Amino acid sequence: MDLLAQVLINGVLLGGLYAVMALGLALVWGVLNIVNLAHGAFIMLGAYLAWHLYTYLGIDPFLGLPLTAIVMFCVGYALQRGLLNLIVRAPMFNTLLITFGLEVVLTYLAQLAFSADFRTINPPYAGNSIALGPLVVPLARLMAFGVAAALTVGMWLFLLRTTLGRAIRATAQNLVAARLYGVAPRHLYAVTFGIGIGLAGAAGSLYGTVSQINPYIGATLTAKCFAIAIIGGLDNPLGVLVGGLVLGIIESLTVLYIGATYDDVASFGVLVLVLIVRPTGLLGKTA
Amino acid sequence: MSAFRIGLAIVAVAALAALPLYGSDVVIQFGINTLLLAVLAQGWNIIGGYAGYASFGNSAFYGLGSYGVGIAMVQWGLPFPVGMIFGVVLAVVFAFCLGIPVLRLRGHYFAIATLALAQVMSAIVSNVSLAGQNIGLVLPPLNNDRLFYELSLGLLVIATLTIFWLTRSRFGFGLIAIRENEEGAAVMGVNTTLYKVLAFALSGVFTALAGGIHAYWITFLDPESAFDISLNVKMIIMAVFGGPGTVFGPVVGAFALSAVSEVLSSEATNVAGLFFGVVVVAAVVLMPRGIADVIRRFRTSGWHYFIENLRAHRI
Amino acid sequence: MARTALRASGALFALALALSATPTFAQDIVLGASVQLTGPVANTGRYYKDAYDFAIDKINAAGGVKVGNTKRKLALKLYDNQSDVNLSVRQYTQLVSQDKVNLLLGPFASNFALADSAVSEKYRVPMVQGGGASDQIFSRKFKYIFGTLAPASNYFASTIDMLKQLEPAPKSVALLYADDAFDVSVAQGTRPLLQEAGLKIAIDARYSSNASDFNSLLSQIKSVNADVVLVAGHETEILNFVRQAKSLAVAPKMYSFTVGVPSEDFRKALGKDADYAFGMTAWLPNANLKDRWFGDAAQFATAYKAKYGYDPDYHAASGVADVEAVAQAIENAGSVEPQKVRDALAKLNFPSLYGTIAFAANGQIDLPQVVIQVQGDKLVAVYGGKGFIVKPNYPMPAWNAR
Repeated sequence: MDLLAQVLINGVLLGGLYAVMALGLALVWGVLNIVNLAHGAFIMLGAYLAWHLYTYLGIDPFLGLPLTAIVMFCVGYALQRGLLNLIVRAPMFNTLLITFGLEVVLTYLAQLAFSADFRTINPPYAGNSIALGPLVVPLARLMAFGVAAALTVGMWLFLLRTTLGRAIRATAQNLVAARLYGVAPRHLYAVTFGIGIGLAGAAGSLYGTVSQINPYIGATLTAKCFAIAIIGGLDNPLGVLVGGLVLGIIESLTVLYIGATYDDVASFGVLVLVLIVRPTGLLGKTA
Repeated sequence: MSAFRIGLAIVAVAALAALPLYGSDVVIQFGINTLLLAVLAQGWNIIGGYAGYASFGNSAFYGLGSYGVGIAMVQWGLPFPVGMIFGVVLAVVFAFCLGIPVLRLRGHYFAIATLALAQVMSAIVSNVSLAGQNIGLVLPPLNNDRLFYELSLGLLVIATLTIFWLTRSRFGFGLIAIRENEEGAAVMGVNTTLYKVLAFALSGVFTALAGGIHAYWITFLDPESAFDISLNVKMIIMAVFGGPGTVFGPVVGAFALSAVSEVLSSEATNVAGLFFGVVVVAAVVLMPRGIADVIRRFRTSGWHYFIENLRAHRI
Repeated sequence: MARTALRASGALFALALALSATPTFAQDIVLGASVQLTGPVANTGRYYKDAYDFAIDKINAAGGVKVGNTKRKLALKLYDNQSDVNLSVRQYTQLVSQDKVNLLLGPFASNFALADSAVSEKYRVPMVQGGGASDQIFSRKFKYIFGTLAPASNYFASTIDMLKQLEPAPKSVALLYADDAFDVSVAQGTRPLLQEAGLKIAIDARYSSNASDFNSLLSQIKSVNADVVLVAGHETEILNFVRQAKSLAVAPKMYSFTVGVPSEDFRKALGKDADYAFGMTAWLPNANLKDRWFGDAAQFATAYKAKYGYDPDYHAASGVADVEAVAQAIENAGSVEPQKVRDALAKLNFPSLYGTIAFAANGQIDLPQVVIQVQGDKLVAVYGGKGFIVKPNYPMPAWNAR
């Protein structure tokens, strides 16, 4: 019984981490209809940035989260404005192809700049845990979960309540009408993508404290984030949190009851199931 | 198709078929690789170019074909042709069972669903002990590159002829109708579900055959290399680069990109990966409709063609 | 017109004379390899490039390799296979059929060696590889593949010997292994050894290669109170394992890993968390491992660190051993012809900085593993063929008691 409870706790906390990673992807996809296959590579870059801030300037990865996010926001803004805006109205899979190409380039540049060595962000409290009777709650993951919840609620409020958020949603729904109302679409698209990449950077900072960083983690992370975003539904940032939790718990239980080699079968299997049965996701509106 | 073009095609095939006589070992190897990629691109062309359903999971068929040959030859001691048929059977069953639910999705969702399917297949196979789990299988070696070359060429010819047949058959017109306006096609009496699944299965057959040939040629397969995700993108890029929805476009795209990639891999191995990524990005931005379109429009627009593309697609 | 032709032919004639009078240089012996310089396993793959370069430079500096009566230098033709097995196979084929290299050196990792050895067998060119230890590579009765890494199934043998002599005696073991060729081989060999030693296998879990989350497995280890945890996996996984063990407060009496512990890069990434971890290595830079070209293993390690900036571990030493084996075999055979070199390799037996290089009938070297442990900030050899070398830090204290 204790083992089950512990595994469930592991699953929930893993879900929080997953949610942070997928938030940026879901935002960009759900709002801009841009499917970013390079999302994992941006998480990787954010992780490296946080590592450099921690190692050379001593900035704690959690406290330095806003800084990492802002730098990555600028990177995302520039990329959208300079490159991705050029193909927004092209056929759908062009964004998939171009972001794939980006992923290859970013991974290569990262390997060139940072070499293939592993890095970890190891603040002194990273390995601590809180004991709840016989159960153990890892501190770093708990904090990541807190950040995930805060960011998710923040994004939800942003999109629904603020002027900028509404402008972004309006532009995504009807470009022409938005333009008629004086919205500058190029700028808005770039801002949205920037926010998405900023979130990826924040996720990278957290990822580096609980796992290890190397230039090649991008592809697997992207695949996971897809599963999470779709399972939760792209309409609503809260869906990402749900998707992350569902996936985290399912994976942890699969390893416990079925076997540790079945974790990918479980995650992608659930993804296929959701797509077939309810493509808009658990929290999405039925089309 | 004018007589001139047909004659040109026959000459080209004959020249390619004769390559093993005057080409070096490495050229033959490069040839096999390129021909198989061209088959994959043509296979994708059926479901992605003609039916308009961009599948990102054809690597699932490739892997099934590879494992069909692998399991048949290694575990059951059957000859290669039987293995190929087994691979094709696996692919067709997969296309029908999983194609029907997945083909109800559109656009991005279909793409991601197929990608997820490919991942699931890879994960499942790495747990199946008949398939050697994650360690894979080592096939009996056959030192006859010429045979593989001619097989691959033959497969490409059959695939291209199939596409050619598509452009003239009711089935093909049905697919194009589905691509342009699916609701309209259904209203006009096209059995969209059947046609889509058939296209998916046909695409799968060619992909599986290519996978089978590749497995026997390399004599080794494991889930990661058999269900190679990057193959998905490669075949799509080649088809799109050459011109999706055309008969020869994917072949041209495959040949061109393979040449570039292979030259880079052997001369400047350090930057091979980087260049590939840059080429992809540039191609998507500047010529999203492929080389075929460039050739067609260049005469009228000249260099303005690229600028027109940018203007049409950006915001 | 006639005068120009006369002048031209005269010039050509003179040129021909000049060329034929030029003394012919002894051709370099070219060794070909396809190694992971980029891609997910590059962090170990690159050690092999450094090792091959280092060894070839040293042998050339000493005059080269004696083939019959001439001395010839070694040259390296190296490709980056980007951690892609299929590309690696094509590159080895290219090395043999287009670049026409004389002999082959191997890649890193068992699954690569497994696939690439099919090429060396197909073209009958001997390959000496120091990166694949899986027994599978050598169980196919191939004649042209040789390996300088000790058999995977034996990796934990000396560790289990040591376990039998520890106080308080450990009783239960959790065995975790990744699902690739090497680690499955390790697990297959370890199970009977554990049973012979009377240790109960409480958990026997295969996990996906490249897994990043071990929380479920760690929770299971904690709930069965395993005394010993043996992990056969890759460096990235083991790094994650240790960090997550700390964050879940899982501290068995001891844990041992097949990779990671010997490499400086790994210990640096973990920092203090690496303390108490056990590992094994078939090679340590011992001054009593004498070598014809480098003096001894200790001198080799110093020179290597001076050139490349990091301490060599057994991968680098294995790579150097491959080159030395090829060089020695060529000299013994008196020729670079593949068949003769192959026969000479099969009969090799000479001391080197890596230990005695001699291949068993199936082509694989057999060296015992020395148990090592991270003690404080040092890597210490703890248990070898003759018993304890140094007292091990056992049992491992709880994480918050360090």
